[in-house]
Amino acid sequence: MVDSLVVKSGQIKMSTSTKVFNVISYVFVAFMALVCILPFIMMISGSVTSEHAIRFSGYKILPKEFTWEAYSLIFKNPITIFRAYGVSFYITIIGTILGLFLITMTSYVISRKDFKYRNAFSFFFYFTTLFNGGMVCTYIFYIQYLHLKDSLWALILPGMFNVFYLLIMRSFVSAIPVALIESAKIDGAGEFRIFFRIILPLLKSGLATIGLFLALGYWNDWYNAMLYINSDKKYPLQYMLYNMLQQTQALAKIASQAGISVQNLPSNSLKMAMAVVATGPIILLYPFVQKYFVKGITIGSVKG
Amino acid sequence: MKKRKAMLCFGLVLTMMGSILGGCGTSSSSIDTSNADQSSSQSSEETGELDTFEEVELVMYVIGDRPAGQDAVDENFNQLIKEKLNCTLKLNWIPWSDYANKYPLLFSSGEEFDMAYTSGWLNFASLARKGAFMSLDELWATYAPKNFSKQSVAALQEATIDGHYYCIPTMLSTYNAYGPIYRTDIMEGSEWDGKMETFEDVETYCDIVKETKPEMEPLDIYSAGSEWDDTWMWSLGYSSSKGSSNDFLFFDSSQENPQLFTYYESDQTNEFLEMMARWNEKGFFSKSALSDTDSTKTQNGKAAVRTHNVDNYASYSTIHPEWSYSYSNLVKSIAHLPYTQDAMVISNTSKNPERALALWDLITNDQEVFDAFYYGILDKTYTLDDSGDYAITDADNYAVSTMWAARTTEFNRNIVGTPADYNTMKEGFETSIVAGEGTEKYSAFTIDTSSIETEYAACQSAHQQYWWPLELGYTDAATGLAEYQEKMEAAGIEKVRTEIQKQLDAYIANLK
Amino acid sequence: MGKHLRNLGHEFKKNRALFVMIAPAVLVVLIFSYLPMSGLILAFKEYRFNLGIFGSEFNGLDNFKYLFQSGTGWLITRNTIVFNLVNLISSQALAILVAIFITEINHKYFKKLTQSIIFLPYFISWVIVGTFIYNIFNYETGVLNHVLQLFGLEAINVYSMPKVWPFIIAIFNAWKWCGYNSVIYIAAITGVDSETYEAAAVDGANIFQRIKNITLPCIKPTVITMLLLQVGRILRGDFEMFYQIVGNNGQLFNATDVIDTYVFRSLLQNSNLGMTAAATFYQSILCFAIIMIVNAVVKRIDKDNALF
Repeated sequence: MVDSLVVKSGQIKMSTSTKVFNVISYVFVAFMALVCILPFIMMISGSVTSEHAIRFSGYKILPKEFTWEAYSLIFKNPITIFRAYGVSFYITIIGTILGLFLITMTSYVISRKDFKYRNAFSFFFYFTTLFNGGMVCTYIFYIQYLHLKDSLWALILPGMFNVFYLLIMRSFVSAIPVALIESAKIDGAGEFRIFFRIILPLLKSGLATIGLFLALGYWNDWYNAMLYINSDKKYPLQYMLYNMLQQTQALAKIASQAGISVQNLPSNSLKMAMAVVATGPIILLYPFVQKYFVKGITIGSVKG
Repeated sequence: MKKRKAMLCFGLVLTMMGSILGGCGTSSSSIDTSNADQSSSQSSEETGELDTFEEVELVMYVIGDRPAGQDAVDENFNQLIKEKLNCTLKLNWIPWSDYANKYPLLFSSGEEFDMAYTSGWLNFASLARKGAFMSLDELWATYAPKNFSKQSVAALQEATIDGHYYCIPTMLSTYNAYGPIYRTDIMEGSEWDGKMETFEDVETYCDIVKETKPEMEPLDIYSAGSEWDDTWMWSLGYSSSKGSSNDFLFFDSSQENPQLFTYYESDQTNEFLEMMARWNEKGFFSKSALSDTDSTKTQNGKAAVRTHNVDNYASYSTIHPEWSYSYSNLVKSIAHLPYTQDAMVISNTSKNPERALALWDLITNDQEVFDAFYYGILDKTYTLDDSGDYAITDADNYAVSTMWAARTTEFNRNIVGTPADYNTMKEGFETSIVAGEGTEKYSAFTIDTSSIETEYAACQSAHQQYWWPLELGYTDAATGLAEYQEKMEAAGIEKVRTEIQKQLDAYIANLK
Repeated sequence: MGKHLRNLGHEFKKNRALFVMIAPAVLVVLIFSYLPMSGLILAFKEYRFNLGIFGSEFNGLDNFKYLFQSGTGWLITRNTIVFNLVNLISSQALAILVAIFITEINHKYFKKLTQSIIFLPYFISWVIVGTFIYNIFNYETGVLNHVLQLFGLEAINVYSMPKVWPFIIAIFNAWKWCGYNSVIYIAAITGVDSETYEAAAVDGANIFQRIKNITLPCIKPTVITMLLLQVGRILRGDFEMFYQIVGNNGQLFNATDVIDTYVFRSLLQNSNLGMTAAATFYQSILCFAIIMIVNAVVKRIDKDNALF
């Protein structure tokens, strides 16, 4: 919208510099898009290339020896894949909803200028980005005291809250005129009513942006699954992928020390196919929420 | 004001942390004492009479990815052991992708389980010293008597850390033999003499490959380091102090009181580096080999020769019999590999160590139970031929167990298609071993790095950083070796050497 | 102290609903972030599995020693800070650049399509990126050398040139995060009041002047906050990225080793959890110090945009 305005006024006297700039814009963005899509094409092409071709001539833009073998191997046991899809969707949906709720509500509180402790709380949240317990302590704590081993909650709870998202969301909330809140208050509305009836409906772009970030974060997370999930029935897709990708390297590391022979190392094309499958539906999320990104924001600092 | 508030908030958190801290301290220590009491009192009172009245579910951790057909295999196996020991076994898996992080964490989380696979590459000795496993001093002989009585003296010695038994080693003998596994089909039509006994022979072979098969890499070298350096040292009759490849301290096992030395102190190192530089020059391997993560180049036909053990030779041969692999050992002093390279440990948190050991006794002493545990279901996941060799029905469904420690020389089966000379080679290795001579004398020697952990870690890091590129001829031999020496010295090699030498001397004194 | 409590009590009475609303987040952060911090005490202990974190004996600073053995401590600390700083700045700069160009594009579908495509690298895991990097740079069959030879140039062995790797890493890092980061900047730029632009256009300001005098100043607070928020990640560089790109290749370590990769390699062989915790602790302290310094500097220059 903003751009169209600019364009209209620009058309009055389209200076040479603007023309030059436009050309640069198109060229640069097109170049970036090319650079960004090439590896993706190589990945897809690799997934339908025969193992022999990958090994001897590497990954190419177009498959050298075409085969569906990798996909038929993945879907040989479709239940495993669909179950993993199920887990990924489950944690992504539940986590995103809970996270959005938590983050929006908190950002509302810390954006209220009449709330005295908003800076103290902001710092309380911010401090966790500086210090953390590290992998070892966090792991022991989660398992021993929170009993999260092999629970899907171990995949949902740790990623639910994030200071980065909190600050972005607060900028969205701050953009809402204070007068709205005040007049509602005069009408006798309680805080919860104000939040749910007035604030939330006005936060569409904020919810879309943070929702996207949260959903991507959940979908792409393999790390928590690696630490906390034991049974293969609870593996999310990304972890299945990670596991497959890392397997060859892990075996390479120990091969020299052990008389172990492992059948069935995943082939390169299988890895690529799995990557395609695991990226799958989430890739459609971005264009879908893109239309909500119209509203502008300015992100402020920790203190409000 | 603002700062004060933040401080207040922070102080609150600190106090909370403090209270949790105190709480945990007591709870974790109380668990421990009760556990220790339990195991010692039970074993002394019951003196070997295993009480199988109550049905228990044992939990075992293994490394690997859960096969699709595991459920059926479990069911079959559980039926068997339910009858014999009134217990069932649940397998848990630590996937390959992150065993390095996850394995030690498993023992620190307080999770209750009974058994786990262990090995040198999982740092068995170091973990045992840090109290990760249950001591088996009384339990082993009482509840796994058959297994205990069949263990060799060396194996018992290897299972002992700081005076206690901490694991049950495999009873499958393996050998330190190492050397080229190479394809012979690609040599047809060339004037190759068929000899593969020295490094010159390897070079001749590679020359021919380079010429006739330009699309192949003659030597299989990838990001894990070449292992030709170890093969070189072993071919000269030297032994690695840690007993496996990628080591940096060696000794001459034929001497009475061997002294430890490293690469830059050996006279033959220059010769080796010259050879590798030449091989690099000739393009026997990639100039970017250390970034190549493909560990399967030989078995997939990309490379022609790789140095490794006889078991890998057998497995390559079964995958591609048409490539007519051949094998030759270059190691001068053949010995058994430590039996602890595949072993089973009992967790500190185990509630039923007695039953777990009884189960292990059964698995390692009964062919039927072993087959059901290791190979799965006869005629379903595997088939047997007349000579007792096995074949996997569908490797995507179920191959073999990854609890390699369960194998014994008695029950272990060869896979169908194992080359005919595999067994004869192994027999040859066995007969060439003289107890208490050469490397075999030191097969039970394990280094204890607990007092030099810092320096040892630094040395390993420096070794990987400076030696690996050097041995592949990527860095200039003379200056590279000097730099390697300098970095190793800075990392504390002298302290490491002194400490390990002390341990080696003590080991020798102990033998007498 | 008494006064504080009274204040707190008063505030609580006044804004009870707000306290209730913030309580869930406080609880979540307390349980999932603050409580595990107590385990950092492990950094000062000789960890024994049978005694647990709190039962193990203290051993002073022993766990920190390996970090500083043979001077590596300084090298990896410097590498960590420098690389992540370079990565941070380059990735944000690219994202800002892309955001500015994209918002200037008028063609609606071209704009939407390219914006979506630029987001794609975010989905490709580092393992796969690492594979492709090897595919490009390896000496014998790499794409780069093919292209060079096509132009009659001599093949180069990139793996024997450790100095260029920090740049390779920075480029791939910027490329991977470009789409993700630009979302925020695009939002910030579209937030600039359109009337301001129009007025500038009428005044005859050309597009470069407009960007320099309007766009950039308007998104400055966003840029500063983004930078400050990411500075916290400097010490905990993206382990996967470094590990998958450099891997085991000792030739490149001097130029590319960061704290995480060094610790990972060192501890692969001895499973010392105390040492792992020590590294985490060291990173946290450094991180804290850096944030404090950066914040103080920002406060001096531009008080409003300081982080706290």
